[in-house]
Amino acid sequence: MILFDREVLRKRRDRAAAGFSEYDFLVREAADRLTERLDDMARHFPMALDLGCHTGQVAEIIGGRGGIETLVQSDLSPAMAGLAARTGRAALAADEEWLPFAPASFDLVLSCLSLHWVNDLPGTLIQIRRMLKPDGLFLAVMPGLGTLAELRRALAEADGEAGEAAMRVSPFVDIRDLAGLLQRAGFVQPVVDGDRMVIRYAEPMRLFADLRGMGETNLTMARRRAPTRRGILFDGLARYRRDHADADGRLPATIELLTMTAWAG
Amino acid sequence: MTDRVPGIDPKLMEILVCPVSRGPLRFDPDRQELISEKAGLAYPIRDGIPIMLPDEARPLEPDNTRP
Repeated sequence: MILFDREVLRKRRDRAAAGFSEYDFLVREAADRLTERLDDMARHFPMALDLGCHTGQVAEIIGGRGGIETLVQSDLSPAMAGLAARTGRAALAADEEWLPFAPASFDLVLSCLSLHWVNDLPGTLIQIRRMLKPDGLFLAVMPGLGTLAELRRALAEADGEAGEAAMRVSPFVDIRDLAGLLQRAGFVQPVVDGDRMVIRYAEPMRLFADLRGMGETNLTMARRRAPTRRGILFDGLARYRRDHADADGRLPATIELLTMTAWAG
Repeated sequence: MTDRVPGIDPKLMEILVCPVSRGPLRFDPDRQELISEKAGLAYPIRDGIPIMLPDEARPLEPDNTRP
């Protein structure tokens, strides 16, 4: 089933590329988690891939940690890959659904907040496992189901009130499903854990500006059939404020980060 | 390295395959393209960045040795 419009995603990432460094705080936060995991590993990973590299945040933060000698950076957006190349590490444009890497190419595949717009996640995980050398490591951070839960609920209620049903916030993966998906893709010893961070917004439009700046606005095919009408948006934001605002009137936006490690047996 | 092939990182060249056919790629330095004979596609290299996206690839001209 085609849920996400990859063509639109590429264009959004291309557009977001030039200004991305102003909106890369989440990617940097997630890259820190990847780095910590890598530091815990006793192994070295000379040949590594950063799948969905944005504009080079992982290359910058991870550097040569984990014994990485070669880090290949790949992104769906040619503009993002072009900026990532400025880190001095090789970069290319590639689609996570059509990966261009030979079997057993990498000791390590990293992915930092780039797998949530893949239509066929099980298929992509199988491709990743094949790209890994025997005993290679897949280490990734993905947003989980709890991500933007407040916004999702507020907009769903506003839709319900207006007699509409739409998918305004991406259906993120449930942490309980992820280890099983990894196992079915042939990985061994998958470990997934999640933690939540809350970003507080004084102005709700600022949340939308952040999502746009990250190239992360809603991509579901359904959004075209049911564009968010102003009335629904305003009603949704009123509900967001009513149900979630803290004592200072700020709106919390929860981000659930799922960190996974899995080995290619 | 003075004998480095211009246009593509040699380490990258070793691991890249055609995303459509999974077959091998040949580097064309004149046109700055990676050619997949099997898929009949040429992937552009722009500013040193291989663009391995099927819908950005140029279809190869039909091979006239075939019917």
